[in-house]
Amino acid sequence: MTEMQSSDPGPRTPDPKLDASCGVPLLALFGGAALWLVVGSVLAMIASIKFHAPDFLADCPWLTYGRVQPAADNALLYGFCIPAALGVMLWILARLSQAPLCLPFMSVAAANLWHLGVFVGLVGILIGDSTGFAWLEFPRGGSVLLFAAFLLIAISAAATVGARRERELYPSHWFLLAALLWFPWIYATGNLFLVGWPLRGVVQAAIDSWFANNLLFVWLGLVGLGVAFYFMPKLAGRPLHSRYLALFAFWTFILFGTWCGIPQGAPLPVWMPTLSAMATSLLLVPLLVVGIVGWRTVWGSVKSKWDNGPFCFIGSGMDCFLLSGLMLVAMACPHISRETEFTWFGPAQTQLELYGFFAMTMFGAIYHLLPRAVGFEWPFPKLTRVHFWIALLGVLLLVVPLAIGGVVQGLKWANPNIAAVDVSAATLPFLRMSTTGLLLLLVGNLLFALNIFGLTLVWKLALLRKAMSVLKTPLATSEVIP
Amino acid sequence: MNPELQASSQPDAEPTATRATVPMWILVLLLLLLFLGGVYFDHHSGWFDAQVYRPYASAEELDAYQPKSGAAAMLAQGKRTYDMICGVCHGPDGMGKPNQAPPLVGSEWVNTKGFERLVRIPLTGLNGPLQVEGKDWNLSMAAMGAALSDADLANVLTYIRESWGNKAGPVTADDVKAVRAKLSAHPQPLNAEQLKALAE
Amino acid sequence: MKNGTAIFLAVFVALGASWGGFVLAPEWQLGGAKQTTVLNSSELYPLGRPGEAYQGLQVYRANGCAACHTEQIRQSGVACEVVLTSAGKNPSAVSNLISTLKLNGLAKEDADAASDKITAAGGKTEIHIVASGPDIARGWGTRQSVAEDYLYDYPVQLGGLRVGPDLSNVGVREPDLNWQLVHLYAPSSVVKGSTMPPFRFLFEVHKIGKAPSPDALVFPKGSGPPAAYEIVPKPEGRELAAYLLSLHANVPLYSAPFTP
Repeated sequence: MTEMQSSDPGPRTPDPKLDASCGVPLLALFGGAALWLVVGSVLAMIASIKFHAPDFLADCPWLTYGRVQPAADNALLYGFCIPAALGVMLWILARLSQAPLCLPFMSVAAANLWHLGVFVGLVGILIGDSTGFAWLEFPRGGSVLLFAAFLLIAISAAATVGARRERELYPSHWFLLAALLWFPWIYATGNLFLVGWPLRGVVQAAIDSWFANNLLFVWLGLVGLGVAFYFMPKLAGRPLHSRYLALFAFWTFILFGTWCGIPQGAPLPVWMPTLSAMATSLLLVPLLVVGIVGWRTVWGSVKSKWDNGPFCFIGSGMDCFLLSGLMLVAMACPHISRETEFTWFGPAQTQLELYGFFAMTMFGAIYHLLPRAVGFEWPFPKLTRVHFWIALLGVLLLVVPLAIGGVVQGLKWANPNIAAVDVSAATLPFLRMSTTGLLLLLVGNLLFALNIFGLTLVWKLALLRKAMSVLKTPLATSEVIP
Repeated sequence: MNPELQASSQPDAEPTATRATVPMWILVLLLLLLFLGGVYFDHHSGWFDAQVYRPYASAEELDAYQPKSGAAAMLAQGKRTYDMICGVCHGPDGMGKPNQAPPLVGSEWVNTKGFERLVRIPLTGLNGPLQVEGKDWNLSMAAMGAALSDADLANVLTYIRESWGNKAGPVTADDVKAVRAKLSAHPQPLNAEQLKALAE
Repeated sequence: MKNGTAIFLAVFVALGASWGGFVLAPEWQLGGAKQTTVLNSSELYPLGRPGEAYQGLQVYRANGCAACHTEQIRQSGVACEVVLTSAGKNPSAVSNLISTLKLNGLAKEDADAASDKITAAGGKTEIHIVASGPDIARGWGTRQSVAEDYLYDYPVQLGGLRVGPDLSNVGVREPDLNWQLVHLYAPSSVVKGSTMPPFRFLFEVHKIGKAPSPDALVFPKGSGPPAAYEIVPKPEGRELAAYLLSLHANVPLYSAPFTP
């Protein structure tokens, strides 16, 4: 097993036209994403405060906990995570193909459709039109818009890959192309079988669990790993270790990860939770391999790259991916699930996945690529470091107390002598800490949004200046028609 | 492109990958986990049976733990049927309601030695004046038990005869079947005289 | 690229296998489910929810009650109990025997063995099946939830988090309409220390007219509206309460047996 033999050609320098081709679609996608990120954080804060003051905004039906919490979750996932993912995917695929983005107008149209869909969906949840299915709450109008937008971007991305000059695919290609195939499949399944032509009975719950796992863990995992396997070697200045390990991780991840969703205590015939438990234990293999790939790639360069913002974001994102994967494995062990099921441990794992892993990875990627795509530096470059530390602290303060609180809650629910109000009283201190975490995340998100909107403004002003200068240039005599 | 970016950017090359092979121990681990998963599946999956839920491990185990209809189960079933159908008029405690239904507690129509009179009452209905525990009643009862199966009606009557201080014996499904066989397809409601003409 | 189609197909199959296993297969197996009968009876189960209760399920969905409440009981074990129904002709011998035997928490074979011993001594026994688990010990239900419990519900609101208690049998635990309505209006007035938010927007406050409205809520002492006012549920409030009262899942079924 010899290693460090790179038979790939030497590093290529980027073509500025390639980056510039992505500028407008990325600004459209990321601008909206930053907005929804802040909106989602505010909604999550409102939801969290209600635990400490149940009367807070209680008379407004739009802001009752059961509507505002799903709205916050959906804003984070569909409003920020997925459009950010699509934007980063487009740029990476363009760079790896060494070809400018194909059909950029499709991507811009898709970005606008997507953000409109998120708006329609969030308003739908708040007015009481939620579908009632976890992570699929957007009413029909919103989900149709999202689906159409995704298809447009997928066409643009596939065309870009088709236009590539180098025939061999880099590992990130595999992850990102699989993601382009998987989202329409799971989203269409979820919406058709649960909302459009609903199936009868508890099958709805089985499909909803399958969908949630495949979107939150598998799809975000595919995109996040694809992005991380692109950026970690690039930012560390070392080759990825190794192509075959990355592909092995890919195959085992999609083979086992897709089966992980059914909760152990679900009212379904026992073969379903059993298959999920088996698949989750097998998940240890791809998690281990991803850990090896990540560690062997960046080992030795961590200290020197410590002041590189994107590197820190993506590195901590990978750590959170592995941790959230391990939490998932723990939750599927029947003995552990008896204590952790229906407790805050589950939301802790989801937040670690969504925020600690995926959002952090996206932040790192966006901080690196958007200036190159747009041609201007960040208006507040020092804020990226501040954002990193606030976000990391926020994630820790959000996830760790929720996870511990969940275990405490589970142990108390399991004791029939403890009354329900005593169980919620026992979780309150932990919820207080996680509300503080949410507050920190809100501040971090505002810093991110500030940079994004600032950069958009700088770019628009430059465009305006260019347009004005063209208008003001005196006409050459040859252009004047007598 | 922005000159500051050109000047200060890190090397912006595309990443490459080494071609190191997958270590053997990872493959061994994968096979080990697959094997253990298979064993777990064999013990805990019920082999895809639609009716086997956790904690049952197999269809045989589920079948073994089915309660047989013992007396307690029949009484519980009878109580459920009573609450749903009879208790509305005769009261959840069998005390009856004035102008609605006579009491069943201590009633001579309930605590009979045999079953011929009692079984007919819910099967055919009961009209006209009758005396219950010294009080006069003149109401009409529909054939509330005609739609029940033999077993269900037997359970209800057993429940009535063994609750609230009543200490008469049980009524079996065969008793109900025997009485049903003697009735016509659409029997008319009986009255007190017709019932008294029968043996208890 | 090399073998592009083959690789695409392989990825398609690898991803699609879970679609087959957790979308198609459950639909084949459970999608055509019909009503079943209660164990040892001809009673059908489940019965569809009456109209107002079904509307109440939509109010439940719209307000996201499943964010804090589950509607699924788990069961971690099943055991047999040997119950003596008749002491027979030799009561003292039977009672001596019983004092030496373990009669609770038995596996089926052990229960059969104990039962045979007692029958041999002249007594008559019955074997009762008892479901066990923390949810059942809490009084949230008498058996686990199974597919039949959700047959006529759309959308099925299993819930994933228990901030508050499970609701599968809340219609059995709290069968009083007024309690349910007062609890929705002001949870902390009937459950001390509750962190459930008040759902006052499901109700209307108005001045008492010539006579109090028959729908008016009756509050415990120390809570409730000021003297001249009454609180009346809006249609959504009534529907939600009707839905909660319709929640019971405590009959024995073949897939979740127990002796009632």
